[in-house]
Amino acid sequence: MVYFESWDEFVTKSVELFRTHPDTTRYVVKYRHSEGKLVLKVTDNHECFKFKTDQAQDAKKMEKLNTIFFTLMTHGPDADISDVSGKEQAEQPQSKKGRGRRQ
Amino acid sequence: MVVLQPDPFLSELTSMYERSTEKGSVWVTMKRSSMKCQARLNKMETKGEAVELRCLVRATDGKKNISTSLSAKEYLKFQASYATVLKAHMHALKKRERKDRKKPAEAEKIPEKAPKKQKKASSKKSSGSKS
Repeated sequence: MVYFESWDEFVTKSVELFRTHPDTTRYVVKYRHSEGKLVLKVTDNHECFKFKTDQAQDAKKMEKLNTIFFTLMTHGPDADISDVSGKEQAEQPQSKKGRGRRQ
Repeated sequence: MVVLQPDPFLSELTSMYERSTEKGSVWVTMKRSSMKCQARLNKMETKGEAVELRCLVRATDGKKNISTSLSAKEYLKFQASYATVLKAHMHALKKRERKDRKKPAEAEKIPEKAPKKQKKASSKKSSGSKS
């Protein structure tokens, strides 16, 4: 199991792993509130990449990674994820409408 | 393994996070799956039918297992709600401290350098203005 120091490298390697083995790759998130620790793991049962942190800023990065993985898993491994920030912008007006309705 | 619809899954996930605040962990796993067994998949491929891609999400607190399956249409809404749940419960993580420490440290360095230069010109006036 390899723990990555760099977040960007972890994301690049994970996406690459998913694209080569879309049927066996899984993304696991473990959170321990008592220790305030977050551990992310991406594996295809042959290679394993991990990232651990106790920083709140990494939780935000993890949410972006969730978006990336959801897109890849539902649209296929060849899906274009370079527009993740664009998708977030597209989601924001939708979420604003949702908040209005809930109120 | 309890299979739920996306909304009950999120409710149960929320209660898992709430139960695990003092002790325990919460694991959430995401994987692509067509939710069909291998035999059925082979038949579908030979017939030329398109296999629908779904996202399987599982969660456990070490004792209880729950899961749900999302289609391409459901995942956007689920992902927004899931992000909200995470933000609400992952508040034990440390906030940014290093950047805050760097800024006052740099601010201290700059005035330290300045008086050295001004002392050569006129020390009394500059020190008075600074104090």
